[in-house]
Amino acid sequence: MRGTAGDGAAEPELGLGLSTVGEYAVISVTGEIDMYTAPQLREAVRQLSSEGRMRVAIDLTPTEFCDSTGLGVLIGARRRLSDAGGSLVVVCGNPRIRKLLDLTGLDKVLDVREAVPGE
Amino acid sequence: MNGSKHDRAGGRAEPVTVRFAFTPAAAYVRAARLVAADVAAHAGVATGLLDEVRQAVGEACTRAVLRHRDRGLEDLVRVEFSIGDRFVAKITDNAQDLRARPNGRVGAAVPGGDARASDHDTIEEDTLSEEITLIVLGGLVEDLVVTGPDADGGTTVSMSWPLPGSGSSTDH
Repeated sequence: MRGTAGDGAAEPELGLGLSTVGEYAVISVTGEIDMYTAPQLREAVRQLSSEGRMRVAIDLTPTEFCDSTGLGVLIGARRRLSDAGGSLVVVCGNPRIRKLLDLTGLDKVLDVREAVPGE
Repeated sequence: MNGSKHDRAGGRAEPVTVRFAFTPAAAYVRAARLVAADVAAHAGVATGLLDEVRQAVGEACTRAVLRHRDRGLEDLVRVEFSIGDRFVAKITDNAQDLRARPNGRVGAAVPGGDARASDHDTIEEDTLSEEITLIVLGGLVEDLVVTGPDADGGTTVSMSWPLPGSGSSTDH
């Protein structure tokens, strides 16, 4: 029973679209980032860094919902990429998630932009 | 004005309560926050506050699941919504520590924690996330009280939002 969505329950949906803009690998996130779906985003960043893609942009503009678990993934991703000589850009033109970044002070810790650099 | 489905002017003899509990697994947090938003909407909470209710209840449930996971507790996380003068949400865990762990220290002896200890990043983010849930709740919710832990239980996150006609609006 643990770890599954159970019978008939709507699966929390997370969509991860990968693209390249300039020197950034861009992960465009649709759907909901919460403690159930956040591991997928964490794994996507890991996968990119294992392929040597150390400049990563996570685009939250199309994201429907993000909770603190998602914020934790952003912080972890920034740390891992920075430690490896790379960088993380968080793209967020979404006022609801922008508010979350602001009230946690993460807008000052993370590199938050309106668009992917070079776009 | 804001589409309350209840005639609050007519008064209500006793508070309406919606109560449930869920296995402390990530998959069910979404269900809890969706129920929260739905019950709040039904109660007449202003449309502009429903996202806040959804986010806040999700954060409180996430925190509870993290706390149970950290202690290896299988106990159910308890959720209660009551509709009286205000819309009140209470999320109760059974973990008796104030915080799961000191910030960032993942090497402490934690019963049942070994199975997950290999995933250092995940544990660190979980620890971080519990901290962030409280930061988000504090920034988001005007009426927020965290009580406990006490002798026979864990902590309870209590939050409330105004309802139309209650005369106690502290809307922001």
